[in-house]
Amino acid sequence: MGSPVKKIMLCSSEKEIFSVEEQVMVQHSVIINNMIEDGSYNHEESKIPLDCVDSKTLKKVIDYCTHHTHHHNDNQEDLEAWDAQFLNVDSNGLYDLLMAANYLEIRNLLDLIYGTIKNMIKGKKIDEIRRIFNIKDHGFTPEEEEQNRKEYPHFY
Amino acid sequence: MKKKSIHDILPLELIHRIFLRVPAKHLARLRCVSKLWYSLISDPHFAEMHFHHSPTSTNACVFVEKGTVAYFVDLDALFSDNNDALQVRKVSPPFKLESPPHFEVLGSCRGFVLLHQHERFLVVWNPLTGSSKLISYSHIASRSKYKDWLPLGHHPYGFGYDTSKDDYLAVVPWQDKHGQDHFDCFSLRTNSWIDFNAALPKPLGFSDWDSSGLFFNGAIHWVPSIFNDYRDAILIFDLKERTFSMISVLEQLGTSSRIYLGLALLGGCLAFYNRGFNRVKTEIWVMKEYKVHSSWTLSDSYL
Repeated sequence: MGSPVKKIMLCSSEKEIFSVEEQVMVQHSVIINNMIEDGSYNHEESKIPLDCVDSKTLKKVIDYCTHHTHHHNDNQEDLEAWDAQFLNVDSNGLYDLLMAANYLEIRNLLDLIYGTIKNMIKGKKIDEIRRIFNIKDHGFTPEEEEQNRKEYPHFY
Repeated sequence: MKKKSIHDILPLELIHRIFLRVPAKHLARLRCVSKLWYSLISDPHFAEMHFHHSPTSTNACVFVEKGTVAYFVDLDALFSDNNDALQVRKVSPPFKLESPPHFEVLGSCRGFVLLHQHERFLVVWNPLTGSSKLISYSHIASRSKYKDWLPLGHHPYGFGYDTSKDDYLAVVPWQDKHGQDHFDCFSLRTNSWIDFNAALPKPLGFSDWDSSGLFFNGAIHWVPSIFNDYRDAILIFDLKERTFSMISVLEQLGTSSRIYLGLALLGGCLAFYNRGFNRVKTEIWVMKEYKVHSSWTLSDSYL
C-alpha cells in the first residue's frame, strides 16, 4: 500500500505505446510474467514490442486483463456476461484477438476464444461453416466435393 | 474492412488447436469444409493428440448391416435427452464393403478399430475422422499354414494401447506350415512388427478363442469360442509386461460346453455374460476387483 502502482509499456504494431499496470499483465500473460521474472524487462527503458498486435486489438487485450484482475471476485454470471459482451466482435476481430492471446499466452482468454469458435461450429451445416469463416475456395476438386456431398448428405 | 477468410488470417497451428478442442463427433463434418481442414484432421497424429486433449470421452459403437452398410452410433446422444443430436449416421470403412462381408472386427481401443480385410491386410480405422492405416502382413502370410492369409475366426486377435510406451499394438496369432503357434504384434509407433514368441504360454493352443479381444486395464482379454471349463477361461495378454496369464470364471459354470460366453466392460469393471445353450437366460457377472477371483458378482440375469 502507498507505493505507486508499477507500470509497464507495451508497444503495438503501429508503435503506439500503452502503459499498463504490471500486475495486470503478469497475472494473465505467461510471456510477460517470464520477462519480468527473468529481469529482461527494464522498468526505466524497456517497451515490450508486440509487432503482430495492432492497437485496436491490444487495447481489447488490456481491457480483458484489467477487468479480470479487478473483478475476479465478481460472481460467475456477471463475468460471463462481461466476457460475452467483450467477444461481441466480427470474425476478423476474433482472429486478431486469438493471435494476440496466443502470442502473449493469455490462457483464460484463449479458452474463451476457443470456446466461442467451437460454438460457431457446433451443429452447423458445412455451407454455413464456410460462410461463417468466409472460406470461398475450399480446395476440393469438383469430383471430391461431389463425392463428399454424396457420402455425407446430412452434413450439407 | 473486408471480411477475410480464416485461412488467410490464422496460422495453421492455431486452426489445429481449435480442432483439438472440438468434440470428436464434429470432426467428420469439419473435415469436409475444406481441403486444408481435411488434411489437418486426417493426420494420424492429430487423432492421437485429440484423444489426449479431448475433455470428454465419447461412448459409441459401430455396427455393420449385412456387410454392406456401416453405422456409427453415438451412445451418449442416444441416452441423453438431447433429441437434436445426431445419434446414428453412416460411416465408410476404409475399403469397399461387400456382401457377404469380407472382413472381421478384431478389436477396438480409444476410438480406433482394428479390422481385418480377409486375405489382404489389417487396417486401423478411426470411424469418427475416417482416417485409417493399412498394415501389411505379407511376411507372415508367406510362412502361414493357410497360404497367404491369416486364420479367420477363433484365434486371439486384439488391439490395445500400451501406456508405458505410448504405443498402439495390433496382436496377431498365426500358425506356420508345421503347425507351430506364433504370436506377433504390430507396433503403430515404430511402424514395425515385433515377434513375441517368447511370451507364448506353452500348452495354450491358439485356435479356440473368440477372435476379438477386449482391451481393458492395459491388457487384451479373450474368452473361449466354445466354453468347456470354468478354470482358466479368460486369457489375458498384458501389453506392458508382454506376458500372458489366465483367470477362472465361476466354478458353477462347470465344465459344460452348453453355454456361450462373451466379455464386456460394465461400470469400469471386466464383466462376462453367459447364455445358456438354449439361450433362454442370460446372466451378467462382474469382476469388481480386477483379477480377484472372489470379487465375481452376479450383476443381472435376464430370462
